Amino acid sequence: MSAVFDDGLSLFGVRRMMEGVIPPVLCTASVDRIPNVSYLSLCEYVDPLHIALSYQFFNRSRENVLATRRASLTLDDPYTGGGVVMQLEYQRTDTEGPVFERLRAKLMGVASHVGMDKVFHLRGADIYQVLEMRRVPGRKELPAAQPRVDLPTNSRLLSERMAHCEDMADLLDTLLSGLSDLLRISHAMLWLFDSSQKVLTLLASRGYEVDGAGAEISLGDGIVGTAVREGVPIRVGHMMNMATYMRAVRSRADESGLTPVLQNEIPLPGLKEPRSQLAVPLRARGRVLGALLVESQHDQYFGYDDEDALTMLGGQLAVAMSLMQPPEQEPPAPAPVKASAQLEGGPALRLKRFARDNSVFIDDVYLIRGVAGAILWKLVSEFLRSGRREFTNRELRLAPELRLPDVQDNLEVRLLLLQRRLAEQPAPLRLEKAGRGRMRLIVERAVVLEHDD
Amino acid sequence: MALTDDMIQLLSAGVSHQVGGCTNSGRPVVCRGLAAQHEAGRLLVIISSESGFEVLDAIRQNGHIAVNLTLPENYRSVSFIGTDAVVRGSGAAWRSLVDERHAAFAQQLVRFGIPPEFTGAWYSADDEDLIAIRFTPMAARNQTPGPGAGDAIELKPIEFEK
Repeated sequence: MSAVFDDGLSLFGVRRMMEGVIPPVLCTASVDRIPNVSYLSLCEYVDPLHIALSYQFFNRSRENVLATRRASLTLDDPYTGGGVVMQLEYQRTDTEGPVFERLRAKLMGVASHVGMDKVFHLRGADIYQVLEMRRVPGRKELPAAQPRVDLPTNSRLLSERMAHCEDMADLLDTLLSGLSDLLRISHAMLWLFDSSQKVLTLLASRGYEVDGAGAEISLGDGIVGTAVREGVPIRVGHMMNMATYMRAVRSRADESGLTPVLQNEIPLPGLKEPRSQLAVPLRARGRVLGALLVESQHDQYFGYDDEDALTMLGGQLAVAMSLMQPPEQEPPAPAPVKASAQLEGGPALRLKRFARDNSVFIDDVYLIRGVAGAILWKLVSEFLRSGRREFTNRELRLAPELRLPDVQDNLEVRLLLLQRRLAEQPAPLRLEKAGRGRMRLIVERAVVLEHDD
Repeated sequence: MALTDDMIQLLSAGVSHQVGGCTNSGRPVVCRGLAAQHEAGRLLVIISSESGFEVLDAIRQNGHIAVNLTLPENYRSVSFIGTDAVVRGSGAAWRSLVDERHAAFAQQLVRFGIPPEFTGAWYSADDEDLIAIRFTPMAARNQTPGPGAGDAIELKPIEFEK
């Protein structure tokens, strides 16, 4: 059967209507032609003739579709108020594969905001062939919004700026300032994934009152944690509306006794009340190294084109994170220094480490954990043992006590994170660059080490 | 069966309306509705004959109808099902009811940051395109999204005057 579409209409062209700003409406009918009308969570473009609809619960719509294989779907344009109506024929239900994974990731991303990600699981992606699609007639549509910037050209400019960066700090600053200057994205965060601890650590941010470097979230938390776990971009264009929809589902799940273990709602990082968010995984060499999260105080701020552009820029950043290792150097010989006990400037600093997760506290105040915590502990221990202040990346990479497989990929990034965390602290302990592939530990007061192992 | 007081209150609370039907050949059809009102045990629904021509055709074939009402502030959603729907009465007489329902709906969406001009696109039918459908609800379904969407909820018996 060939598809009948109104002139100029294509499924690809109406992708923006599938973003869930206004939930799709599905009409099915029983075998005796009693109609049933309901809202759906998600609709996803598959190819020029097929779409996928989320299958989460067995309800009357599904019962009807399995009996008749027919449905009608309406989608509303979140920008103009226009809309399309489709005639669909059910084909199959996918429970694995790329379409299923994309739908699942989107569902998990938005569901995690209301603590629904443990309950709101996707049973399948129902694949439908679109037999007909026409515009809803008789609507006085609003003019389509103009693009806020020339996205392809400005993304290229930003990519070129990034290509000139020689170290990680410069690269991160260039990306974040370029997002603001060239793409008009004023709120952004770069999260680093630690696969050994299953946590994401905030590496850098732009556009917030608090920098927040070193803040952590668990893998799978919020749209950024979900984007990393699933390895796909997640975009929410109208967060208030989606959160209300999800809460309605949660309420029904509660009534149905399907929510024995629910998480508390997770506060959104960054903006207090973001209206749009887009999280893009940073992927290189087949692995997800972290994520770029951008936010806006405006609804529907990020579209498919932003997703494409940031995926490309995020990929460039991820490759740079993997490759941007300075030349290997031999460790320097110990330099004569004042012994730690003789350092001036007040009482000794207490540096305490917990071996379970390598978390480090300075005078009982949490500083950092994971790879960066292990590195700091090694540097200070070595300083106290030998008096050496300068270290090379090479010796850290080869240090057996770090025992952290992920460190090879982005040691430079971990060091940068540690450097920034230390710089935020009032404690007289800092890390600074001492040439390519070298760093210098600055200790201005005596230090005492404590540990629990 | 008749609507409960709770259901009648929902009609004017600022709901969205979706109206579905199914042709005798088994083709499900759906369009946006513009207003709904309770009339002595029956439900009156206004749609645009231009955007809802398929739904009107299906209803004229067999009288089957589903009207879904959803309150944006919490997605509470109820459907009313009928098998005796008739299309009768059109024109400017329905304008004030449509405008009233539109205003309440637009007010609901403003709190989500959706401006009134946007909902105006959905309610832009000309007077001569407004058309009324009346039916007796024989069943009601809880269509709030989630598990059990489509499950029956109770209506109350129609009370006849003695």
